[in-house]
Amino acid sequence: MKTAHEIRPGNVIMLDGSPWVVQKTETTRSGRNAAIVKLKLKNLLLDSGTEQTFKGEDKLDDIILERLDCTYSYFADPMYVFMDEEYNQYDVEADNLGDAAAFIVDGMEDQCQVTFYNGKAISVELPVHIVREVIYTEPSARGDTSGKVMKPATITGGGTVTVADFVKVGDKIEIDTRTGEFKKRV
Amino acid sequence: MPTIKPNPTAKHWDIFCTVVDNYGDIGVTWRLAKQLAAEYLLPVNLWVDDLHSFSHILPTLNPSLPQQTFNGVNIFQWNNPLDISYNAGQVVIEAFACELPEQVKTVIEQLHQCPQSQTPHWINLEYLSAEEWVEGCHGLPSTQMNGIKKWFYFPGFTHNTGGLICEKHILNDRIQWQANPNNKMALFADLGLHGIKVNDTVISVFSYETDALPALIHHWQTSATAIHALVPKGRSLTSLASVLNCDTQNLIPGQQFSLGNLTVHILPMTDQIGFDRLLWSADFNIVRGEDSFLRAQWAAKPFIWHIYPQEDDYHLVKLEAFMKIYCDNLPAEIATPWREVNLAFNQGDQNAIVSYWQQLNSVILPLQQHAINWPNNALNDADLASRLVQFVKNS
Repeated sequence: MKTAHEIRPGNVIMLDGSPWVVQKTETTRSGRNAAIVKLKLKNLLLDSGTEQTFKGEDKLDDIILERLDCTYSYFADPMYVFMDEEYNQYDVEADNLGDAAAFIVDGMEDQCQVTFYNGKAISVELPVHIVREVIYTEPSARGDTSGKVMKPATITGGGTVTVADFVKVGDKIEIDTRTGEFKKRV
Repeated sequence: MPTIKPNPTAKHWDIFCTVVDNYGDIGVTWRLAKQLAAEYLLPVNLWVDDLHSFSHILPTLNPSLPQQTFNGVNIFQWNNPLDISYNAGQVVIEAFACELPEQVKTVIEQLHQCPQSQTPHWINLEYLSAEEWVEGCHGLPSTQMNGIKKWFYFPGFTHNTGGLICEKHILNDRIQWQANPNNKMALFADLGLHGIKVNDTVISVFSYETDALPALIHHWQTSATAIHALVPKGRSLTSLASVLNCDTQNLIPGQQFSLGNLTVHILPMTDQIGFDRLLWSADFNIVRGEDSFLRAQWAAKPFIWHIYPQEDDYHLVKLEAFMKIYCDNLPAEIATPWREVNLAFNQGDQNAIVSYWQQLNSVILPLQQHAINWPNNALNDADLASRLVQFVKNS
């Protein structure tokens, strides 16, 4: 059992008797600081999709499926191919990666977890923290060093992350894959 | 007021509300309950956990009674655990994500498991926000662990949201009220406010605590023309303790303080109709939270919105989102001082609030015209109650 706030892309939850893979999570704040979590879900039995909204503290029935540590190997449109330590390859549909797809880059060495349902690879969870290089961002406008002024930055692979104003092209940054947030420069 | 007779064939709606800061949450739910009963002839039960606070905006309510009826709405004392039996109707609304009583959830679950019965529509009525994400979350289901679907309903300013609470008659009532200056003078007299002349500037103040308020009070004292600030007892007045040099707890309605060209009047509490008329009668309104924020917009007068403060200054994101919508198509020379005044008030910036207030004064007439045009833009042809009734029909 997890709260909606703890659910991550790649998790599988039971809703109304069916297993659903979480493709995307979006957390926002309602009035009085309450978190609201929007989930994009795909039904693993019917292959159909839906979106649902939960209070952050709502309990959800996440199911533990078989998982394997894997590394990313290559992209064969529309499948991302991952490989375990015994060189077995597993195809995961791009749709099932959700927001994580923005952080998948050739040559990455991050240990990912591929989840299986009925023998089929259905989703991938990245490590909570990953490091990526900034390939484009505007120069610091105000020379701010506090970390409170933010700006967009393009990272390796083409994804966009909101970073502190002091981050420069070529910097390596740590990103929280649960939220897509910039954590620090490394 | 005519007696409201609900449609005998309609199944009732239950609205549950926990009182958080005295007037906000209960203010919104009470207006919605009244509107559903009056305009849609729906039998409505309003369950409230703090009838004493409720009685501040409904003075004829008796907080010691477990059940009573006003404006066609059955009002129940909501104790936890629930000590009044709950009979399921057509709709259950948990206002502002309050947690429904266990007994109610149990009844809903039992009905859900019984194929012959109809489970009530379970709706979580959320807070109002102008943020873009609201469109993407409004109307989505939320399947609970027991398989029951709850629906998230988000008020908002666009077609793809749940709309804004606005009674059908309220804008016409306001126009008629404002057409005759005798109405406001009579209201001020009824409220025990003395010394206000018809052309004096009147500013109503209903905010949270902020350092911006004493700065404005100091500034208004030096005005070339007479200004009257109308302040109820409570959080705004707490901010003025040092300016008024007294214990604000001991002040009584009708009391007034002369400070240069400014007179500060202590306002009595009024019911919701009285509060609307007060906003209609003032030249400028300072409002807070959600209920008075909306009512200030229907008043068609310039206003400052003191938004409920959140962690990490997140309320400023919500403030910016609203200001962006409100200032759409408003020339920068008008929009900028209005935005900056709102920002300075919310940040308690004493220098900025005075500086931008002075700038705002120079554009007050076009800002006034914008405030008159605004309600129709904001409503997008349909208010919250009508969209909610339609939402229930469709879901």
